[in-house]
Amino acid sequence: MLHNQLTKPGLLFTPLILALCLLSFDSFSAGPPTIETLLERSYLDDYHSNVVFGYRIVTETETYGARYSGNHLRCTNCHLNAGRKPDAIPLNVAGMYPKWRSKNGRRNGIGLRIRECFVYSLDGIMPPEDSPEVLAVAAYISYISHGETIGEAPAGRGVPTLPDTGYDPNPANGKAIYDKNCTHCHGNNGQGIPGVPSLWGMDAYNKGAGMANTSKAAGFIWANMPLGQERSLTHQDAFDVAAYINMQIRPGDPRKSKLLKLFEAITGLAD
Amino acid sequence: MRNLRILSEIMPWRPLFTGKLNLPTETFAALIAAILVIPQGITFAYLAGLPPEYGIYSSIFVTLFASLFGSSSMLGGPNTAVAVLIGVTVVPFSGRGSPLYIDYVILLSLMVGLIQLFIWLARGGKYFQYLSPAAITGITVGVGIILILSSLDGILGLSPSGTLFFFEKIYVMAGDWHTLINPYSFTIGITTVITGIVAKTRYPRYSILIAMAVGYIVGLVLMGIFTQVNTEIELLGHVPFQILPLSYPKMDLEYLLVGISMLPNALTIALIGLAQSMVIVKNLRSDTDQPVNADKEVFAQGIANTLAAFFSSFAGSGSFNRTAVNQSLGSKTPLAGILSAVMVFLLILFFAPLLSYVPMAVIAGTLMLVGIGMIKPQEIARLFSWTGELSVFFVTLFSIVFLGLQSGLIVAFILSVIMFVLSASKLEITIKHVNESVQIRVEGHLFYASIDQLSSLLKRHRHENVLLDLSVVSYMDLSATEAIAKDLQKRKPKETTFVIVLTSQKLLEHFEQRLEGMPVQFIQHLRTQ
Repeated sequence: MLHNQLTKPGLLFTPLILALCLLSFDSFSAGPPTIETLLERSYLDDYHSNVVFGYRIVTETETYGARYSGNHLRCTNCHLNAGRKPDAIPLNVAGMYPKWRSKNGRRNGIGLRIRECFVYSLDGIMPPEDSPEVLAVAAYISYISHGETIGEAPAGRGVPTLPDTGYDPNPANGKAIYDKNCTHCHGNNGQGIPGVPSLWGMDAYNKGAGMANTSKAAGFIWANMPLGQERSLTHQDAFDVAAYINMQIRPGDPRKSKLLKLFEAITGLAD
Repeated sequence: MRNLRILSEIMPWRPLFTGKLNLPTETFAALIAAILVIPQGITFAYLAGLPPEYGIYSSIFVTLFASLFGSSSMLGGPNTAVAVLIGVTVVPFSGRGSPLYIDYVILLSLMVGLIQLFIWLARGGKYFQYLSPAAITGITVGVGIILILSSLDGILGLSPSGTLFFFEKIYVMAGDWHTLINPYSFTIGITTVITGIVAKTRYPRYSILIAMAVGYIVGLVLMGIFTQVNTEIELLGHVPFQILPLSYPKMDLEYLLVGISMLPNALTIALIGLAQSMVIVKNLRSDTDQPVNADKEVFAQGIANTLAAFFSSFAGSGSFNRTAVNQSLGSKTPLAGILSAVMVFLLILFFAPLLSYVPMAVIAGTLMLVGIGMIKPQEIARLFSWTGELSVFFVTLFSIVFLGLQSGLIVAFILSVIMFVLSASKLEITIKHVNESVQIRVEGHLFYASIDQLSSLLKRHRHENVLLDLSVVSYMDLSATEAIAKDLQKRKPKETTFVIVLTSQKLLEHFEQRLEGMPVQFIQHLRTQ
């Protein structure tokens, strides 16, 4: 039966028909197919296979994004739940780009934004704009931005801005809070365990990353940490922990420590 | 007997086969080949839409198997045309570089390998040898030009212009060069190319190595001063490397459907790959005294591509440029290929971190050097003496550059056959009148395309005694015999005689069978040389 079907010349067009079926199926159902159903499909069109590749890069960066990343962090370590958790720098921001950013003083497309993540948070190499990794992550970002309004910030974008507590951040208090709440997962020396990112040391984000900004880190910690008991710290505690973490040693800013960065890369050969 | 021959073609290469083995020469050639193939493998992986490590795996495993089962110093592995075709074939089914895409490429490689093995079993290797030397020069120069043009992207640091046709690319660049061209990439690329050209005049053996080293250092200096973030110099990046990258082609209904849709392209890739390998085999056979066995090489290509599917590699073929370098370094056996696969493995294992900071402009510069090396003015100048060859060369070159390698090879093949048929269908006929009889001496092939010349002559001399000298004719087909028979029937046997002079026993038997009972005599004299 199957054999008879396969010998028909019309079957050569079956993938096309299949793709059309999938497309029409997608347009009838409400919203795009979930990433879980996409992962199970063995036939995907160009866009959706890029979405799946992008999802894999975000969730398993050390494997799928290894070409350009320099540490063992994953995108999903900060963009929690693969960029789908509000207040944890969600990735549904395709409608916000291109926009002007003060970080580099120019108009940024989503491609440049992704490339900068590779350079700073992943402490790696800046990929070219048209590398498959960047294209795939861009496809994933526009996929999870489905339903958002163009030009308008989605709910829970970035991290919450904590109000001014009136006190300077106190790293000493931060250490006490860190030792009490964070060492289970992140370790005494911020080294992390498999699946939990390093917070400092040479395998962590570098000084150019967004997390290296204490108020941003504090917002992230207050809204998301400790995992499962989010918003249990006070604003001041979050500031203190963030200051303590960002006081530690970490790779330099690749824009500033020019020759040093190169030296780091070459001495990195030893290990 | 035939089984024995097939068995000998399956046997892997062993050092015992070749008496003298120059180990230091082979090892050095292998080292250079390994250094050359790493950037090429990575670039071709990019052309095929795959992550770079797949290029490395191909440079190890496809090269290894192609040399292990081959018979010559031809180097297999990743190849431009094959890589481009893989990309063209698989892109409609999945996004470039995605895991699904990789599954399809592996399936495609298996299909290509199996088709080539089938061609081997059908003894199809000989049909690839009809390409004329002029067409081969055309192909080589065309590939050189394609390499140079495709290296421009990397040297100029252009962003996505890969889909543009090259003259569009040049047009866009001419208008917008100051925003499109990355000055840092350009500096690195042009330094690499100029160093390579200068070094070639003094150290031809090491020129590519020197060019790469200089380009790499210039890149490091530029990144040290201006940082990679600000210069946006494109780097090779980390190459994740597994020691044994086992994979297997997935098989279920949907993969089967995609496989069926890819079948026409798989066939094209198999043929293009074999055609290129056979051109190299032909060159090696005429330029060296290696015991090249074309059928064994077809088997080697087929088995290498089939096994590629199980080692995370994509299909490849013989490589023009690496084989040329290998030959210039004096390699004579498949050992160089086998060793080069081992050396790629060792180089990646120990120097992968160094490689990740190689600017793509350096790799593009190397490709441009290889492309420049493929355009040999003296070879083109040689063709200018004959219009026919020259036109084959130019048509081949034109179709490769403007229509692509795939169509270019087909055009070259058809042109070669046409040129052969045209030259073969010309008969050289000398007529002498010797005491009341006409001696007609024929040189050339007597077949349907050439027989008209002879039959009109026979008609004119129908009332005379004729001595038809076919002693230097080696080939004759049915229609030629029938034309002679027809003429014989119209003759008056009592007035005139018709004599055919022959040397070949085969032709004599052929005639005696066909012209039985006709008024004709045969003279057979065996040529003594």
